[in-house]
Amino acid sequence: MFERFTDGARRIVVDAQAEARELWHHHIGTEHLLLSLLNDDGPISRTAAEHGLDRAAVRARLARTSEDPLDPEALSTLGIDLDAVRAATERTFGPGALDHAAGGRRGPRGHLPFTPSAKKALELSLRHAIRLKQKEIHEGHILLGVLHDDAFLSVRIATEAGVDVGAIRGHVDRLLTSRAA
Amino acid sequence: MSDGVTLAQEASSRDPAVGLRAVRALRELSERLEALQVASAREQGWSWQEIAVCLGVSRQAVHKKHGGKRRILKKED
Repeated sequence: MFERFTDGARRIVVDAQAEARELWHHHIGTEHLLLSLLNDDGPISRTAAEHGLDRAAVRARLARTSEDPLDPEALSTLGIDLDAVRAATERTFGPGALDHAAGGRRGPRGHLPFTPSAKKALELSLRHAIRLKQKEIHEGHILLGVLHDDAFLSVRIATEAGVDVGAIRGHVDRLLTSRAA
Repeated sequence: MSDGVTLAQEASSRDPAVGLRAVRALRELSERLEALQVASAREQGWSWQEIAVCLGVSRQAVHKKHGGKRRILKKED
């Protein structure tokens, strides 16, 4: 189904897997697609940020569900800067010392599966491209897909953050149609 | 962004889920630091007894926990 995706759109999907892995999640969900979209420095992430949907907030929200027990956000609530601890241990014990010390426990490896919602969101991005009579699927279409269904975790996160999801959809729609014109 | 982070922290400071997660992360950090320090002490020729005294635990406890582990400190090879 990725034939019509532009290079940029493909990168969003690939990066979503990296986002999931970094959180020690064993699946790629709409929340990872959203995080990946916000990571990019293009017009789509800027538009989302204008509406109050920014990467730092989404990342912080998702960090609470991270499966990595050594959670930098959790430690920061105690005033512990994990980066500083990491730097200090690496000075003494060499690069990656803190990760080697985790022993056998480590994050997910290999290919991570999409959740049914993430699959649906990607299919919806194609439907949005068709609706706008556009041949290629851009980052904007993925954002429309990811924000399409109120049941998606991505939409729940945005709504929790006080974002007007309808307003973003409208704005992205206009952005995509003006680009096509 | 810092405003958002501060707000989020204030809102979550009384949330047990946040506090418990922090405890878990702290325990994990402590375990990893202990593993590094024990491995380093062993490499420097410390006995299990000496390490145990510093950690405030019994020799048996420290040996049982760290005795059979693969090397985590990389030697220059």
